[in-house]
Amino acid sequence: MSTDANPALPEPIAAPGRWRPSAVRLIVIYGAFFLLWSIVLVGSISWQTTQFLDKVVGEILEQRVHYLATVDRSQLPAMLAATNQLDLRGVMYFGLFDARGAYVSGNIDRLPEGLTPDGSIRPLPKGLKAIDGQLNARALGVALRLESDDVLVLARTTSVADRIGAIMRSALFWALSLLLIPGLIGGYLLSRGPLRRVRDIEAAVAPIMRGNLGARLPLSSRRDELDLLATIVNRMLDEVERLLGEVKGVTDSIAHDLRTPLTRLRAQLHRVQQANDPDDPRAAAIERCIVDVDALLDRFRALLRISELEDLRRHAGFAEVDLGETLRRVHELYAPLAEEKGVALDVSADSLPLVSADAPLLFEALSNLVDNAIKFTPAHGTIELRARGQLAGTRIDVLDSGPGVPLGEREAVLRRFYRSRTTGDGGGDGGGYGLGLALVAAIAKLHGFCFEIGDNAGGGARMTLYCWPCSSAGARSA
Amino acid sequence: MARILTVEDDALTAREIVAELQIYGHQVECVGDGVEALRRARSGAYDAITLDRMLPGLDGLGVVTELRREGVDTPVLMISALSDVDARVRGLRAGGDDYLTKPFAPDEMAARVEVLLRRRRAGERETLLRVENLELDLIARVARRDDAVLELLPIEFRLLEFLMRNSNQVLTRTMIFESVWGYHFDPGTNVIDVHIARLRRKVDGGSSPSLIHTVRGCGYRIGAGK
Repeated sequence: MSTDANPALPEPIAAPGRWRPSAVRLIVIYGAFFLLWSIVLVGSISWQTTQFLDKVVGEILEQRVHYLATVDRSQLPAMLAATNQLDLRGVMYFGLFDARGAYVSGNIDRLPEGLTPDGSIRPLPKGLKAIDGQLNARALGVALRLESDDVLVLARTTSVADRIGAIMRSALFWALSLLLIPGLIGGYLLSRGPLRRVRDIEAAVAPIMRGNLGARLPLSSRRDELDLLATIVNRMLDEVERLLGEVKGVTDSIAHDLRTPLTRLRAQLHRVQQANDPDDPRAAAIERCIVDVDALLDRFRALLRISELEDLRRHAGFAEVDLGETLRRVHELYAPLAEEKGVALDVSADSLPLVSADAPLLFEALSNLVDNAIKFTPAHGTIELRARGQLAGTRIDVLDSGPGVPLGEREAVLRRFYRSRTTGDGGGDGGGYGLGLALVAAIAKLHGFCFEIGDNAGGGARMTLYCWPCSSAGARSA
Repeated sequence: MARILTVEDDALTAREIVAELQIYGHQVECVGDGVEALRRARSGAYDAITLDRMLPGLDGLGVVTELRREGVDTPVLMISALSDVDARVRGLRAGGDDYLTKPFAPDEMAARVEVLLRRRRAGERETLLRVENLELDLIARVARRDDAVLELLPIEFRLLEFLMRNSNQVLTRTMIFESVWGYHFDPGTNVIDVHIARLRRKVDGGSSPSLIHTVRGCGYRIGAGK
């Protein structure tokens, strides 16, 4: 039951900004996959459509070139001109070149590059130059050597296929915009609900971490995953509470059962001491034994007292109490002890309204606080007992100029047997922070008051008892 | 020598009580049940009674209630395993004069019985307490030693009054705290020792012989001699 047996307090939860809700993450991943798949799908449709349209264009060109090849050579320029007239959309190109490749007729004035006069359809990636100087982007062409040794060239731009591709890409863009934007907004809104509930759970966990093992996580009527998780945690807390209760019960039983033999042991030692000559060297050893047994008995008594207070639910001993007067009586009891230690103990109390409380228990709680303050305040230090009226009720502060209680230990010092690492062991009298503050917390809880450990403005500890009904009755740390 | 009735059903505890009271030179009778205790105590022939709270037949509360109803005012020390405040209040309200929780140190029990015996002998009516050359005037609220007035704080006056009312008796720290301050918990550290030390400086400072004595492993005593 030493200090070392107490595990360190859990680290506080990191800043809220660092938390990313899982719904947002899932929506982002889903959105990325959706985007990728849509691009692949539309790309594939666009490619197949282009291929099909190119094939159709190629067939048209093949038909035309073979038809024109059958036309009489002398009538061919006129025929080409007539056909050109019919091509209102300007997608068809014709050209008749002689055996040397010189221009004879048509709207192309030179043989396009990469076109051999074998009658097969070829793409013209570099486009072709029309007489009017217009450069078409992409086209398919065919060249055929006629019987007259002239070369007939037919070409057609593929702008229709390209435009269909553009329409599909634009459709894809709009479809994605319409799907992704509401998706992301919806995802954000969806994620806020669970996050809010997680925050509620975090708030509910705070008193449990402070040691109120009777508190449970909130459940909604939705019966969703969070409720399932909260139910599991609540069940776990039931078990933890039961086990801790058992441990406390066993500790109490040990304390209770050991008190009788220890009391007998002390009585026997006392008799031996009385029967012996005080100058006998063994007398000092017996005296030390008695002191040790007394320390053990004190410890057990305090332990059982805390259990008794923790189990006390009734307010039978409550009466109207003058807190200022109580504080002055505590001061009267401890002033000589403080003086002996060279510590200034001051008391200041306003004229305060009476408070419904158990006067002896409040006196006991305040005595423990002052006893602790004297113990931990070095010589020439100061301790101030202060009772002030506030809007909600009376607040009692015990302010000392000792080393203070480190932030991380303010919850732990309220546990039974915890001893602050920085303030030493607090002496071997069974008091110290070991049980004194646990007792104060138990008395505060019994009254429904809040007990808070904080910093004294001038350095040192501030132990505050808020003497009015408090929602988180018992202990809290500032 | 006083005649004391011990009512206790646990044989071991009863033996301890009897042995301790006999050390103080008292004549002790022991009974184990409430009905027999009531029968014997009715006679009013005892100077004090130690009464266990839980007894077969009639319990301790019943015994003391009945005794008081019948007008028997023998001082009663209630001894109980019930330590909570309510049990103490009930015990004292029923007519008990003092309340001691189990387990107890036998010397503490004996010291409490001595206080009850003294109170019975002296009554509460004294207005001037005297121990050797130390004088406490309860009306004028003045303490004198060798006719020199001692400057005492109110709490020191109350402490000295309790010591002097029970002069030459061993008083434990718990008894002092309970009687002078009126609270029933362990005040911890050496609060009482420091109060006694202060009082001693004022009472015994410069004067001899010293009157306030420390009884090793037990408590304090005011009176002449070692």
